[in-house]
Amino acid sequence: MKSLVEIALLGMLAMAQDAPTRSVWDGVFTQDQAQRGQSSYNQYCMACHGGSLSGGEQAPPLAGGEFLANWNGLTVGDLFDRIRTSMPLNNPQSLNRETNAAILSYILSVNRFPTGQTEMPSRSEVLKLIRLEAERPATK
Amino acid sequence: MFRVIGKVAFVAGLLGAAAVLSAQVRFKDTEWPTHSADLAGSRYRPLDQINASNFNKLEIAWHFKTESIGNRPEFKLEGTPLMINGVLYATAGSRRAAVALDAATGELLWVHGEHEGARGAAAPRQLSGRGLAYWTDGKEERVLYVTPGYRLICLDAKTGGLVKSFGKDGVVDLKLDDDQTIALIDGEIGLQSAPIVAKDTIIIGAAFREGMTPKSMHNNKGFVRGFDVRTGKRLWIFHTIPMKGEPGYDTWEKGSAEYTGNTGVWTQVTVDEQLGLVYLPVESPTGDYYGGHRPGNNLYGESLVCVDLKTGQRKWFYQLVHHPLWDMDISSAPILADITVDGHAIKAVAQPTKQGILYVFDRVSGKPVWPIEERPVEKGDVEGEWYSPTQPFPTKPPPYSRNGVTPDILVDFTPAIHDQAMTIAAKYKLGPVFTPPTASKVSGLLATLTLGTAGGGSNWWGASYDPETHTVYASASNASLTPIGLVHAPKEVSDMNYILGTDGQEIRIARGPGENAGADAAPIPRTAAPPPAPVNPLNVQGLPLVKPPYGTLSAINLDKGEITWQVPHGETPDAIRNHPLLKGMNLPRTGQTGGVVTAVTKTLVLAGDPQVTTTADHPRGAMLRAYDKLTGKEVGAVYMPAQQSGGIMTYMVNGKQYIVVAVSGGAYSGEYIAYSLPSAD
Repeated sequence: MKSLVEIALLGMLAMAQDAPTRSVWDGVFTQDQAQRGQSSYNQYCMACHGGSLSGGEQAPPLAGGEFLANWNGLTVGDLFDRIRTSMPLNNPQSLNRETNAAILSYILSVNRFPTGQTEMPSRSEVLKLIRLEAERPATK
Repeated sequence: MFRVIGKVAFVAGLLGAAAVLSAQVRFKDTEWPTHSADLAGSRYRPLDQINASNFNKLEIAWHFKTESIGNRPEFKLEGTPLMINGVLYATAGSRRAAVALDAATGELLWVHGEHEGARGAAAPRQLSGRGLAYWTDGKEERVLYVTPGYRLICLDAKTGGLVKSFGKDGVVDLKLDDDQTIALIDGEIGLQSAPIVAKDTIIIGAAFREGMTPKSMHNNKGFVRGFDVRTGKRLWIFHTIPMKGEPGYDTWEKGSAEYTGNTGVWTQVTVDEQLGLVYLPVESPTGDYYGGHRPGNNLYGESLVCVDLKTGQRKWFYQLVHHPLWDMDISSAPILADITVDGHAIKAVAQPTKQGILYVFDRVSGKPVWPIEERPVEKGDVEGEWYSPTQPFPTKPPPYSRNGVTPDILVDFTPAIHDQAMTIAAKYKLGPVFTPPTASKVSGLLATLTLGTAGGGSNWWGASYDPETHTVYASASNASLTPIGLVHAPKEVSDMNYILGTDGQEIRIARGPGENAGADAAPIPRTAAPPPAPVNPLNVQGLPLVKPPYGTLSAINLDKGEITWQVPHGETPDAIRNHPLLKGMNLPRTGQTGGVVTAVTKTLVLAGDPQVTTTADHPRGAMLRAYDKLTGKEVGAVYMPAQQSGGIMTYMVNGKQYIVVAVSGGAYSGEYIAYSLPSAD
């Protein structure tokens, strides 16, 4: 009989082998998480990216068409890792994964992606299974 | 303590060939020996191996990822490399190191970086910068660049090692000997542009933090200096804010020249070596949008100044904006052009600007080639402000990008969309170029809505010039809306009467490009989180508030002072192409907000898209485009994995033409990509 760990590992492997099946249109964060993220955003990100996520002379917008075009076709994991490894610009890697996931949830919520029942996880490899799609898929 | 972070290797055989340069040191037109290709700012090379017939066959010859140059990746690569004698030199990475690469293969030959500690961390302009300078006397070869901490570094181009006989062990501390006292560690001054060398003189400007929300009306001044390329000795200084007793001091009333700062030359400088003249594009004085602490015209703020190459003495100047209030820094290299107007040969200088006006002067006398009229402009009512009653308006050529906001340019894909745009715009003061800033009031107008100011027209990327057809090619942002609202600054934030802000919103200090972002940057103390700001979106359901084109490429003929052609530049953004409100509409290409560095060859103008898109024709990425330089017709486009964020240049080595472009943005860290034609069909 397989141990629970083995089953979990097999499950993760199966997931990793498949192309991402979920997208940001499937409710990949919770409203609470986005609210926590807003508070962290205001503290760590707003000075450069602006109160309305519209960007500044230095920092790109984090909401709207230009932002979505910039990330369309990549995964939530790609955006998570960009934030995790390089932000905040003046002190990268100073925020923990949960805070980064909450900030990312807030960014997605401002971009009008739907909330869901489950919090966004904070592991990059799991987030790489969620596609960033600027346009709502026709079937949804 | 500073140290060399590494010398990877050097290829003596390859570099030894530099000795073929004559004592006269004439660079070949297959090389790209200075930031803008030549000291005239042309960004032109008469190469034609890559042309309209084969542009689409281009493939990536090599690419150089800059991620590991510095302790963090950089996503804002702006440099233009140089190429001399088979070696490509560039600045790169969050460390702003100098690198040498084999120009044919991209192989790393050497890298030199400086760890500047607290000084680097306090630098106002960090990250990789816009490039470096090369000098040779036919025997020695040197590479020069300025660190984020404002130190001029002189390297042996063959090895990347410091030239010990230059300055102090290869370094000139630019915070010293500047006719003002600047704190060595945290004194605010720096430079992100590439130095240039003309007739053995290095010319160095200065840059500061963003000036929208200054902490104080007092700041360091951005003087310009010349240094001996052999010794690093200071040869001359030009006071961009005149000192007492110098001409122009009286344009700073109430003694404001004593404490006002900034007014630097943060962009590229141009030189006519034959005439021995240097052309300096000067930025705004302290306080981009409020000048109440500096009454008067404020020379040489936002002026084009011509000085003597040997002495730095002023020859002539022309102030393009009196008493600057709109952040219309003269933001790019002046372009030297030998033109023929009404049968008369004129040695001219043409200055592209954020306000989309190309100012053209006789570069010997400083007289306008076409009349420039002083016309009355609106006077504002911000308390304590001093207003110039007139501003200069060139009669030719016409503006090549938008520089005001009026109802007729608001988005109008449908009448309903236009109505919504009008509702949003009703909270703002609208008007033509030089409409004054507004004191922000929630109960009244929030700001003056502007185009052609902080982010408009031709910013640092400037323009290129074709000496064959006497044509300037300017990439311009046509939709970078900037609301200029002023609020009283809390005393703990600034001693200015007014800084940029919106009534009812938390005061936010605007940070400069690269500020607190480089490899030496340290954490800054955090204050309590401010409450979320109310949102005033300058868009209609995601559509830009103004009509397309959002960005353009213009050809401006300098013999006639006319725009020969103008095309939207950049793929229609995804958010426009796929917008539900625009379904079924057949939109012509809109171009993209933002501008890019361009280059000109024998037949083509080269420019990459400033934003990424995902279309039916290509995956997520951006296109590098070639335009027929005579007609503006797009004759080819090749795929780039990310947007053009920096320079573009071209050269020939071993019989093969290369185009190198700097790309970065989003998830894509800085990379120089070299394109060439396939060796075999």
